[in-house]
Amino acid sequence: MRSNRREFLKTTLGTSAVVSLGATVPGFLRAAAVASTDDKETILVVVQLSGGNDGLNTVVPFSDPAYRGSRPKLAIPASDVLKINDALGFHPSARGFADLLEDNSLAIVQGVGYDNPNRSHFESMDIWHTCQRKSDTRTTGWLGRYLDASQANRSGVSLAFHLGHEKQPFALTAEDVRVPSISSLEGFRLNDSGDKEVRSTISKLASSARQESDSILDFLQSTTTVALSASQRVEEASRDYKTPIDYPESDLATKLKTVAQLIDAGLGTRVYYVTLDGFDTHSQQPAAHAVLLSQLGGAVSSFIKDIKHQGHGDRVAVLAFSEFGRRVEENASEGTDHGAAAPMFLAGNKVRAGVIGDHPSLTDLEDGDLKFHTDFRQVYATVLESWLGWPSKSVLDGSYDPVDAFEA
Amino acid sequence: MKTTAIDPTWAWLPYRASEEQPWNRGRAAHLLRRAGFGATSQEIDAAVEKGPEEIVADLVSPRLDAAFELESDAFAKTILASGDPKNLSAWWSYVMLRTPHPLLEKTTLFWHGHFATSAAKVEDAETMYNQNRLFRQFALGDFGKLTHAISRDPAMLTYLDSITNRKAHPNENYARELMELFCLGEGNYSENDIQELARCFTGWEIRRGKFRFNQFQHDPGMKSVLGHSGPLPEGKSIDVVLDQPAAPQFIVSKLIRYFMFDEPAASDELVEPLANELREHEWDISHVVRRMLTSQLFYSEHVIGRKVRSPVDLVVGLLRTLEGSTNAYQLGDDLNQLGQGLFYPPNVKGWDGGRAWINSSTLLGRANVIGRIIRDENTRFASGNLNEYFNRLDANSAPAIVDKLLELTLAVQPPQTVKEQLVEVINRNGDRSERIAEAIHALSTIPEFQVM
Repeated sequence: MRSNRREFLKTTLGTSAVVSLGATVPGFLRAAAVASTDDKETILVVVQLSGGNDGLNTVVPFSDPAYRGSRPKLAIPASDVLKINDALGFHPSARGFADLLEDNSLAIVQGVGYDNPNRSHFESMDIWHTCQRKSDTRTTGWLGRYLDASQANRSGVSLAFHLGHEKQPFALTAEDVRVPSISSLEGFRLNDSGDKEVRSTISKLASSARQESDSILDFLQSTTTVALSASQRVEEASRDYKTPIDYPESDLATKLKTVAQLIDAGLGTRVYYVTLDGFDTHSQQPAAHAVLLSQLGGAVSSFIKDIKHQGHGDRVAVLAFSEFGRRVEENASEGTDHGAAAPMFLAGNKVRAGVIGDHPSLTDLEDGDLKFHTDFRQVYATVLESWLGWPSKSVLDGSYDPVDAFEA
Repeated sequence: MKTTAIDPTWAWLPYRASEEQPWNRGRAAHLLRRAGFGATSQEIDAAVEKGPEEIVADLVSPRLDAAFELESDAFAKTILASGDPKNLSAWWSYVMLRTPHPLLEKTTLFWHGHFATSAAKVEDAETMYNQNRLFRQFALGDFGKLTHAISRDPAMLTYLDSITNRKAHPNENYARELMELFCLGEGNYSENDIQELARCFTGWEIRRGKFRFNQFQHDPGMKSVLGHSGPLPEGKSIDVVLDQPAAPQFIVSKLIRYFMFDEPAASDELVEPLANELREHEWDISHVVRRMLTSQLFYSEHVIGRKVRSPVDLVVGLLRTLEGSTNAYQLGDDLNQLGQGLFYPPNVKGWDGGRAWINSSTLLGRANVIGRIIRDENTRFASGNLNEYFNRLDANSAPAIVDKLLELTLAVQPPQTVKEQLVEVINRNGDRSERIAEAIHALSTIPEFQVM
C-alpha cells in the first residue's frame, strides 16, 4: 500500500515539472508550488520538552566562572562536557545531539525567550503555544492557525498528527482543522469485532446532520468524523514498517519511530507533534536530567538517521523547545527552580549546523534568570517561512525577523 | 452556544418548577448525572417524587453506610497488600460504581484533580490511598482545613518536593503551586511572593511516613507574603493565602466548571455571590455545592448538556445507569486509556476537562472501551444480560428499547435519523442481547453521548 501510493503520486502528478521551477523562483513560492506533491513537501516535527528544560546544563558554558559559582553542586565539570567549541559543550548524556552536530545536522539557537517572562508552567506553555498573553482571547495555537490557513484543497489529508497519550497540545488547536491524536498505532482504530456493518452504522451516525448548531456538539462531530477517516488511513498506511535503524528504548523513540513510519507511508502530513515530559527538576536534578537528555538525543538522532535512510532526509526538520529554562542559581534540593531564557534546537539535513547567537550572560540577569535575546516567535517565523514555505505574519500576529537556521 | 450573559441574581435563585422548566424525569436524570455518575430508571422515578431540594440535601450530607464501608475497606486492603499503586484505580473504580454516596465520591474526584498528585512520582500505594481518604474526609467539608491538611500530606510533600525544601536555598515548587493552582490562580501573586512563601515551608519534611517539622531546616526569619509581614510560622502563611479575596473566587469558579458547564468561563459577576457565601460559611464546600445543584441556573439550558463527559462520567455513568457490574481492574485500565488514570493525573494542574478530553484517539478509545465492556463476559446488568434488563424496564420492541436507552443516557437528544438507525441495528438478525450491545456500541460514538 505504502509504496503503491508513493509510486502512484510520482507517476500521475509528474513531480519533475514542479521541481524544475526550483531554480528560478524564490524559496517562498517554490515551497508553495512543491506543496502540491506529497513526496517533496517539507515536514516539521515538533518535540516539546515539558516542565522547563535546564538549558544551562544542556548547552553548558563550561569556561564561564560564573557558571560554576552559581551551580556548586550541579555544574557539569569542563572535563565531562561534549565540546561544541572553546566555551560551550553538551551535557555528557546529550551524546545524540553531539553526534547530530558533528554530522552537520543540528542548530542550537541560543537565548530564546520572550518579554516579561511568565514562570508558571501552564501560562508559559500557553504563551509558546498561542503566541498570545493571558489578557488576549486565546482560541487557537500557532500551528493550528498555519493549518487553517494552508488547508485549501487538502480535504482528506491529515495535515498534522499529534502522537502521545497526553491531551492534545494547544499549539495544534485550529478553528476548522481537527488534528488527530494517536496514542498508539494499535489503539488507533475502531474495534468492530470483525463486523463490517458496525463500522458502516457508526460512520452513518457520525455524519447524520444535526439541526441546531452548537459549538461543543459541532466540535465533537467534526472530531469524530476526522477520527474515523484518519484511523482508516493510518491503518492502511502503517502495516509492515521495517527499518535497519536501532532506536533506543524510550517512549520518545517509539513515538518518533512511528512518525518515521507515517512519513514513509506518504500521508501528505506536514506537521508531527510529540512531547517528552519530566523536565521540572526542582530536586535531585542530576540523575533525572541525564536520563531525559539521553532519551532526547538518542531518539532524535535515530529518527534523523532513519529519515535519511528512507531518502526523506532533505525534507524533514525537527524543532525542540521547552516552556522556559531554569534559574541560574541551584536550590538546596540539588535542583533548579523555574527560569526564563534557554536554547532551542533544530535538527535535520537542511539546518545550518552550529550555534546561532551568543550564550546569554550569567552575570547580567533579570530576577536571577537568563535574559533572552531572541524571541521564540523569530524561530517560529523561520520555520514557517524558510521551512514550511508559509508567510508568518498572520500566523504569528506580527512580523518577526527570522534567524539564519536553514541552508538556502 | 448561548452567548447571552447569565444574570447572576436570577442564576442563584432557588429553582422552582415552572412551565418552561418543569421538574420531570429529564431534569431529575440531569441532577443525578451531575451530582453523581448517572442513575437507573427506578432512581429517576424516585427522584421525580422527591424533588430537587430533598435529593440534594441528602446528597450533601451522606450518612455513613457501614456495610459499604466494610466492603470498600476490605477491597482496599487486598489492593494495598499488592503494594502496586496502579491497582488502586481498580479499588476507586469499584467504589464509584457501587457507592451509596455518589456526590461524595464525585467531589472526592474533584479534589484529586484539584490537588493533583501522581503515583508516578510518589510510587507508594499506601501514601496515595491515605491522601485519597483525606480528600473524601474533607470533600464536602472545610476547604481551609483541607488546604492545611494537604500541605502536610506525605503524598503532596513528595510530589511537589517539599521534603527537600531547606532554608539554605528554598525550593519553590510547593509555594508556587499552592498559589497558582490550589488557592488563587495565576496572576494573583508575584514571583517575590513565591520566593517568600517558599521560605515559610522550609523544613516541612516526612519522617517514617508522616509529616514532621524540622526546625533545623526551617527559616525562622521575617517574610513578606502577599502584603503580610512576619515570621509566619506553622500554617500561618497558608492562612495568609486563604484570606486573599481571590481564593473563594478561584474555588467557586472551579466548582462551577466541574458541576455546571465547561465553557465559556463563568464571569466574575456570576462567581461573586457564591464566593461571598463560601467566605461567610467559613469555607464550607457543601454549602456552595448545594446552592449550585438547587439553583435556577443548574436546571437551565446554560447547564443541561453543557459538559463534556469525563471518562469516569462516561464509563461509570453508563454502568450505573444500567445497573452494570464488571471487572474493576479492567475498568481502571480503561479509564487510564481514555485519559483519566486514577491516581495518575497528567501533571500538577490535574485534568483540564471539557474539550481537552476529546481527540481522535480518545473518541475511538471511548467507542472501543464501551464496546468491550458491554460485551465482556464479566459484565452483568442487574445480574442478567441486556435483553433481560430492558425487558424488566418494559422495553420490549426495538423502538421502545432505543427510546429508553436514549432517555437514560443522554442529556441532549440526537436527530431522528440516529434513532432510526439504532432501531435498525436492534432489528437485525441474531441474538437480541448482542444486538442491543451493538446499538450501545454505536450510540457511544455519537456527539450527544459525549456530553451531559
